[in-house]
Amino acid sequence: MPSTIEILQSLVNGVGVGLIYGLVGIGFCVIYNASGIVNFAQGVFVMLGGMFCQVLMSQLGLPIILAIAITVPLVALAGMAMELAIVRPMLHRGATLFAIILATLAAQIMIERITLLGFGDRPRTFPDFTPGGPLRVGEVAVGYQLFWILGCGALLVVALWLFFNRTRTGRALRACSQNREAAQLLGIPVARMMLVAFALSAGLGAIAGVLVTPTQYTAYNVGTPFGVSGFIAAIIGGFGRAGGALAGGLLLGVLQALAIVALGAGFKNVAALSVLLVVLMLFPNGLFAGFSLGARVHSK
Amino acid sequence: MSVQILSAGRSSLLEAREVSASYGHVQALKPTSLHIAEGELVTILGPNGAGKSTLLRALTRLTACRGRLFFRGTEISGLPTHQLARRGIVMVQEGRGLFAQMSVRENLMVGAFLHAAETDRQMAAVFELFPRLRERIDQTAGSLSGGEQQMLAIGRALMAKPQLLMLDEPSLGLAPRAASEILSTLGELNRRGLGILLVEQKAPLALKLAQRVYVLSLGKIVAELKPDEIESHHDLARYYLH
Repeated sequence: MPSTIEILQSLVNGVGVGLIYGLVGIGFCVIYNASGIVNFAQGVFVMLGGMFCQVLMSQLGLPIILAIAITVPLVALAGMAMELAIVRPMLHRGATLFAIILATLAAQIMIERITLLGFGDRPRTFPDFTPGGPLRVGEVAVGYQLFWILGCGALLVVALWLFFNRTRTGRALRACSQNREAAQLLGIPVARMMLVAFALSAGLGAIAGVLVTPTQYTAYNVGTPFGVSGFIAAIIGGFGRAGGALAGGLLLGVLQALAIVALGAGFKNVAALSVLLVVLMLFPNGLFAGFSLGARVHSK
Repeated sequence: MSVQILSAGRSSLLEAREVSASYGHVQALKPTSLHIAEGELVTILGPNGAGKSTLLRALTRLTACRGRLFFRGTEISGLPTHQLARRGIVMVQEGRGLFAQMSVRENLMVGAFLHAAETDRQMAAVFELFPRLRERIDQTAGSLSGGEQQMLAIGRALMAKPQLLMLDEPSLGLAPRAASEILSTLGELNRRGLGILLVEQKAPLALKLAQRVYVLSLGKIVAELKPDEIESHHDLARYYLH
């Protein structure tokens, strides 16, 4: 039986990783809302974020702030390249969404293998943004990086809300999500909006990767677990709902952490998938249907 | 039965030459030519399944089509839908096509996507035309009544500053009074100089507004005539007026 301290500690850890899942889940939602596509390569953006940042810091000796400033746009460009090179041509050729989704899965594997060839299979990490720590609250240790994750996560949520609700492009993206034909009829270039969605989604993934790498590590194959967990978070939150994905990520992260403490590390994924199964059976539209950060899907 | 009536003295706004469209192997629209002059209100009549909606979808490139399109004399055949809106060709879809989870204000703001700097001015003009929308400004579009939704759909299209407004059955599903209000507003917009292409089931109301009528049957135009000439075509009069 785990002690109270162990449970509290796992909750703290769960919130941190859960927020990362939530950001990955929001990435899924952004692309799905704009295009109806589930981008299974979403996890790879997390991996690329951590990987590029680590390489820029260790091999070019860049300070972390500069490395992040280069990494996020670089990964956003990778997202745009994926849209231009894979998704758009397939859409133009009348491919079904299933085929496109499968192609994104293939892209995930391809990018992973290219990363393996380019950077090797050695796990990499870099130090916390703020050296020192952890902060002790009683007997619970809270790493400084968690505060960065919480702070940046909160800032991103606010920034996304402002983007989707207060900017012309954000509103246009939401319009595309609800009725793409009507959006086109009003002059909105839907294809360009998809490009924006892929860039935004990849950028979010990169930020998640940069934030989480100091607490764990990055390697060519970390994208898949983050992608799967982000996908589960998005489903728990009611797919397409950014706020729901964030809440779903937090719930998933906390449950995974509790499962590790209570049952052992081997039960982490059992917990995640059990949660998914229960949610799918009891709440087919997600736990947080009705709670929206600004975007909801009505693909047409 | 085809009666050729030209909108003499007016320059051409939209001209479609031999436009056709298919869904798979089914040709829903046979090669069809039509034109709309500047400031003209043209109505398209036809029974269900005649191809009226397909024609509008083809003209706005929502449905892939063959044939050539000209707008104010310039060929626009290859342009995608959003570029047509940039030229001033805007359509209100059947079923209104609102962004149901966005507010009235947001729908109108999205309507002004191409003219963001003029949003406030355009919105004031829309509220002048449809004062009820101002009262509902923060309500979601999906929570409006049918008539209000149609007002919003038209108002949103007007935010895009159309030169030619196409409407696919704007009175569909509306109470007679609301339908009459909507159609009389379209008449007012036309009197202000807006070119309108109207697909409408409520033929008597639409015919009061129209300067010209195309009759579509089995995917092709079978007649082009003035509204008052319908009386003299017994089969058309029986079908559309009585």
